[in-house]
Amino acid sequence: MMARVLLILMVGLASRLTAPAQTYDLLLKNGHVIDPANEIDGLMDVAINGNTISRVAESIDSSSAGKTIDASGLYVTPGLVDLHAHPYLCNSGPLFPDDVWLTTGTTTLVACGDAGWRNFDDFKAKIIDKAQARVLAFINIVGKGIAGGPAEHDLSDMDPEKTAAKILEYPDLIVGIKTAHYNNPDWIAIDRSIEAGHLTDRPIIVDSGILSNTGRTTREKLLDKFRPGDMHTHFYNDRQVEVVSRFGGKVQPYMWEARRRGVLFDMGHGAGSFLWPVASKAMKGGFQPDTISTDLHQKSIRAGAPDMPNCISKMMLLGMPFGEAIRRSTVTPAESIQKFPELGTLGKGQVADVAVLKIERGTFAFKDAWGNKKMGSRRVRAVMTVRNGEIVFDEDGLGFPLWAEAGEYDQIP
Amino acid sequence: MNRFILSTITAIGLVLCLTCSPLAAQEIIDILLKNAHVIDPHNERNGRFDIAIIGNKIHKVGKNLPASHAKRVIDLSEFYVTPGLIDLHAHFDAYGADLNLQPDHHSLTNGVTTAVDAGSSGHKGFEKFKAETIDKSKTRLLALLNIVGAGMYGPEVEDDPKQMDVDAAVRMVKKYPDTIVGIKTAHYEPANWTAVDNAREAAEKSNTVLMVDFRPKEGRGYRELLLEHMRPGDMHTHVYSRRFDWLDENNKVKSYMWEARKKGVLFDVGHGNGSFYYRKAVPALKEGFLPDTISTDIHKRSIMLPRANMATTMSKFLNLGLTMEQIIERTTVAPAKAIRRTELGTLSEGADADIAVFRLSEGKFGFLDSGRAKMIGDKKLFCVLTVRNGAIVWDTEGLAATEFTNAGPYTNFR
Repeated sequence: MMARVLLILMVGLASRLTAPAQTYDLLLKNGHVIDPANEIDGLMDVAINGNTISRVAESIDSSSAGKTIDASGLYVTPGLVDLHAHPYLCNSGPLFPDDVWLTTGTTTLVACGDAGWRNFDDFKAKIIDKAQARVLAFINIVGKGIAGGPAEHDLSDMDPEKTAAKILEYPDLIVGIKTAHYNNPDWIAIDRSIEAGHLTDRPIIVDSGILSNTGRTTREKLLDKFRPGDMHTHFYNDRQVEVVSRFGGKVQPYMWEARRRGVLFDMGHGAGSFLWPVASKAMKGGFQPDTISTDLHQKSIRAGAPDMPNCISKMMLLGMPFGEAIRRSTVTPAESIQKFPELGTLGKGQVADVAVLKIERGTFAFKDAWGNKKMGSRRVRAVMTVRNGEIVFDEDGLGFPLWAEAGEYDQIP
Repeated sequence: MNRFILSTITAIGLVLCLTCSPLAAQEIIDILLKNAHVIDPHNERNGRFDIAIIGNKIHKVGKNLPASHAKRVIDLSEFYVTPGLIDLHAHFDAYGADLNLQPDHHSLTNGVTTAVDAGSSGHKGFEKFKAETIDKSKTRLLALLNIVGAGMYGPEVEDDPKQMDVDAAVRMVKKYPDTIVGIKTAHYEPANWTAVDNAREAAEKSNTVLMVDFRPKEGRGYRELLLEHMRPGDMHTHVYSRRFDWLDENNKVKSYMWEARKKGVLFDVGHGNGSFYYRKAVPALKEGFLPDTISTDIHKRSIMLPRANMATTMSKFLNLGLTMEQIIERTTVAPAKAIRRTELGTLSEGADADIAVFRLSEGKFGFLDSGRAKMIGDKKLFCVLTVRNGAIVWDTEGLAATEFTNAGPYTNFR
């Protein structure tokens, strides 16, 4: 009896030693890993099993991996998180998630108010459920979402309770409340958004489109209305010259005060909200964006072309270190929408969303939202994206074999 | 007295007119593209030229056009300039069937100023497509109308002969002759000729061309399609897909392909997610069996791993040995001729100012085919600037942009 048990044990052991031990499905080798959430910044390998991160360490043996990718000379980061996207509705025309965001290293995008409680289900069915990219949402306080000027001023369609109810119906998808494009001289849109935020314990995100002639000021908004954790997007634009004073170009004291209170500032580049003079003066004064985001839509994508790598490049041109820009494109946005640690990290056991980026050197023009350029010498570009453990974008085919050596292939996994 | 004044005025007028006329020849140029390497197969140009644009038209192409009369001069000495490209096979019915993409950020950023939607919609959905996308796009969108009334909504409708209403399709083509350039049939599984023959009938009755996506079956062979069911000028798309038996056991192109070409059948690339394989394209090109037209079949899946956009698709052929001139010919004048729109794909004076500018980069690049196998190449094309209808609609290197410090005061109240 004892001998039999021993024999079984020994056979078991032997088979474990000799079987082709494929421990990992995908191994990214020799890349420079930047994972601010885990304070990693150096040459490391990243091992993925199924759809999760298995291990991040130096010199993981490639014989234990199904597919090994040589990432020498490249940067490996958590899949980027874009807090300000328009995949469903937008006055300048929305974009689809996968062809735009996954091809630029961005595995999570947050629709910034595209849909309200009335059309969120339609948004979910048509876009969210069909996308390979992870699509989350700030729900618009306006029931119809971004439905154009008059609809976005219809007070009867700004219902905090119905908005809150929709959030609680999809608590994993809806991460906060958006209000925008509201030009009446009152605080109703923001007050109702905050009310929905209170009801659901979620932040609000507000655009900067408050014109001085409405009688409202940015100062009041940031210091009296906003709660800690609420977000001000598009802050590098020039409406009322909010960030820096018109005279002297100093960062406004209330901006610092708001930051101390815990108000967050989001880039939201878009087609009107990232201007070189404003951004460079603000950065000179040390006022950085908390989160780097794109506000990509059909107009901005061909103008300033602010995809995530482009926005990161622009911040680097203004002096932000690459690692810091990655932090503000991964862990910081994930934290701001209460999705950390499951997003924006290469932590063991988390979903394998990974970006492989390259820093190109040369002479490049970077255009701001008004089409004026600033020349720079480094450009960040996405070369590969892994979403949920699967290679979904691979510009140079790093993860695939040469055709002449591939035999009678149909579609190589 | 009055007569004297009148004749004096007339004389002065004449003198003015005479002195004016040489000035009139020096019209104000809106955009002058300087020193570019121009490849314009339609006009047999392949060399250094300047291009002057006035309004939405090509005004003049020549050597050393004076910059002094231009409002905006762009030096393009590092780049290739071509007519705005024509993508003969695209899927841009963005709010129609699932796989479609929005056009402008895929076409204009790749130098494509004219895209032909290849049958995403049929006669039932075309007007919705037109209202929602075609009429709103900056890209010139044309269409091949699907013989299936419902369009590309899966086998349930695409395999159903009852969906193939020839007369309804013909009526729709005749209603929009400027936009619908032909008929498409695709994805038809049943092993008979119903789809191809109905589509051809609709093309005949509407006096347009036919594009075929074909799945060979027992009793429905590819050779038969080309030689018996297609007319001269009709197009077979997806020629380098794995489905066809046109390579013999020695990897030689079978004679019926040459015969079909001689007859006038056109072969289109239509790269897509399943229709461009190196092990088909490489032997064919080696024997000189080049595609007549290079197109992408761009859609939500093909744009991901195979990167079936125009610049990447062209780069694949460049690395497979085609010359720039051969490639530009197959993306401008050849597709224009195929859809009988010969006013397109040219830099002729008086033509619409649709222009593409490319950087030809050297380095080490990988290119995946539809099967996700790789070719390593040393050249890659990047579209850096696009002019559509006289307007700069893409300028990724800021060639036409002002340095922000010279841009004057920034204010929201411009």
